[in-house]
Amino acid sequence: MVSARFSPFELLLLKSRNQTDTAALLLLAWVMVSKGNVLPEDQQYLETLADGFRHGHALTPLIEIAAGQDMAAVQLAAEVLQKDWWSEQSFPFLRQAIGLATSNGQLAASNNHILRFLADLLGVAPAAFRELFQEVAGRPLESPEDPSRADYWQAREHARQQQSQRDHERERERERQSRQRHEEERQRRDHEERQRREREEHAYQRHSYRQGAGAEDRHERRRDERPPPGDRSLRALHVLGLDARATRSDIKKAYRRLAQIHHPDRFYSHGERRMATASQRFQRIKNAYEYLMQDARSV
Amino acid sequence: MRDLYKRLGVEPSADDTAIGAAIDACDNSALKADAAAVLSVGARREAYDGLHGMLSELGRLRARLGLTHGAHWQGDVANDFSLAPDLAQSRHDQLVAKLDAAVAAQSTLGRWRRRMPWWLAGVATLGGAALALGWWLSGL
Repeated sequence: MVSARFSPFELLLLKSRNQTDTAALLLLAWVMVSKGNVLPEDQQYLETLADGFRHGHALTPLIEIAAGQDMAAVQLAAEVLQKDWWSEQSFPFLRQAIGLATSNGQLAASNNHILRFLADLLGVAPAAFRELFQEVAGRPLESPEDPSRADYWQAREHARQQQSQRDHERERERERQSRQRHEEERQRRDHEERQRREREEHAYQRHSYRQGAGAEDRHERRRDERPPPGDRSLRALHVLGLDARATRSDIKKAYRRLAQIHHPDRFYSHGERRMATASQRFQRIKNAYEYLMQDARSV
Repeated sequence: MRDLYKRLGVEPSADDTAIGAAIDACDNSALKADAAAVLSVGARREAYDGLHGMLSELGRLRARLGLTHGAHWQGDVANDFSLAPDLAQSRHDQLVAKLDAAVAAQSTLGRWRRRMPWWLAGVATLGGAALALGWWLSGL
């Protein structure tokens, strides 16, 4: 019956464990909602701040009051704060307000005015307040922007244009890089294809030689004059980049080197496709190595 | 920031035609150029109105709290958005007065409630006496 005549903020203030802290929290919430776009981190930050205040109630009603631009509540909070804190006593509160207002790296024009209002309210001189701002935000307090002037809007549009130009250039660069990558991939595939074809041709020629076709060229014969390692072990040696004279330790060394270069885990950050091709290559190298190791003839 | 509406002599809620007419009628060329650049573009006017509303509220707050001559309230903003000091009662005093009234109402109610048994006893005694008198009279 009686409570109907009190506003929501007055009721909160009366129920609070500490009126000054409740008033300070309302003003901080006011700073937060005046940022325009409130980030979830800001709300979390305010909640952690509220833990240090002797408010003793949920924060949401205060934020709702502030978001409703209830100026009677803000005025009441300002009066309470003005009664209890003066000058240096209010520095911790002003630090929190500055931190909240500049948490996304910029200070909105409305918050610039609000911070100046709070400084006036709590009797902090401009010099001291500028120092405080520099300390918290890491840069000097600028005078508030003036959107009532045409050159403010021109400067803004200019900045936006430059930004979009930069974005455009970055996009083009990214496109160029991806095209280059595609090209490399294609070349590599072509190369592999050529190698495969050569191997097949080689195998075919050897085959016809064994059958006594007798039309093989001199070069081919000269290579086969060495004690012939098996066809498969020769291919395996090719995979490891070795020739038929390779010793067991050469094979081991070559395998370790290639396995390090082609291990799929190295391509983890390059995307799934490159990782898949790498794992194919690695598997081929490993198969060759295992074949050669269990094949005593190739030693 | 200047209060363009005040300087043009129009209401902040005025529509585009009224503002266009006011801009045309303006004889300060610098103000005319700025007003045309800001108020006749929809998005700019919206942003300007947001800050204008906030500064009007701050001007009112400062007037009520006696901060119209604060060290941080300077230049165009202070010139255009300051109001005459408002000598209305402070919100805190209002709250205290409200609280006093509520407490007084509560205590009056409490006083009456505390006296209630005595009243009941008195009424019962009187009623009993009246009954006894009636019985005695009827017995005569």
